[in-house]
Amino acid sequence: MSELDRTLFALSDPTRRGVVDLLRRKPRRAGELAEALAMSPPAMSRHLRVLRQSGLVEEDHEGDDARVRTYRLRQRPFRALRRWVEDVEAFWASELDAFREHAERTRGKR
Amino acid sequence: MISGDAAAASVFVRVSQEDAFDVFTREIDAWWKTGPKFRVAGKRRGRLFFEGGLGGRLFETFEVASGTRTFEVGKVTAWDPPRRMELEWRISNFAPDEKTTVEVTFEAMGEGTMVTVRHRGWASLRKGHPARHGLEGAAFARSIGMWWGELMTSLREHVAER
Repeated sequence: MSELDRTLFALSDPTRRGVVDLLRRKPRRAGELAEALAMSPPAMSRHLRVLRQSGLVEEDHEGDDARVRTYRLRQRPFRALRRWVEDVEAFWASELDAFREHAERTRGKR
Repeated sequence: MISGDAAAASVFVRVSQEDAFDVFTREIDAWWKTGPKFRVAGKRRGRLFFEGGLGGRLFETFEVASGTRTFEVGKVTAWDPPRRMELEWRISNFAPDEKTTVEVTFEAMGEGTMVTVRHRGWASLRKGHPARHGLEGAAFARSIGMWWGELMTSLREHVAER
């Protein structure tokens, strides 16, 4: 699977999109994420594993306590995603160009 | 859950708001691009039809060996000529109950009209949607913007903040 495939797969689930949305604001602990999204800790940890494997998030130890882990977003996969969105918008831009040419040719006042 | 805008694109057209709305809808087959990236018909001959009015359909017909095939893109869910309309937007790999939304607005501006398309609603699609898996290049390009118009702005903001 390509990086974009893994990113798309990781984000195909509403819970994982919720995690991304929460982490967008600040890094959080797994427990906080589970609570915010009303999930059991084991279920959340499975989602976090998918997100980690896709490279969308990374874990970090908070302070000196190795037992406390926080999750944060990684920038790289989002760049690939952003290029993909730009393709989406390019599709519509291309249709709108075709629309403008046709409309101005047939209805334009000169 | 995730709020924000959808994937969007705009164009300024030097025609009146009424004409812009009319051409966009009634004459869609005349301007909508052809080929596998833009139509289900692909390289076959086909036509796109837009039925105006609430509940009207946007659909494509094309010829196959066994006769004429019809693919319905979606139904009109808001109809406010010449300012705005909204329709459901299905891509060929969607299940019957899966759809996204395309909103088109027409704003009179100076010598012409600003036309804006906003495509959203991906988050409502089923889990594990085959947005990419099993789709070949052209079909994937057509299935652009699958589930997540709403997520997009969020992501774009995220990238911009870095």
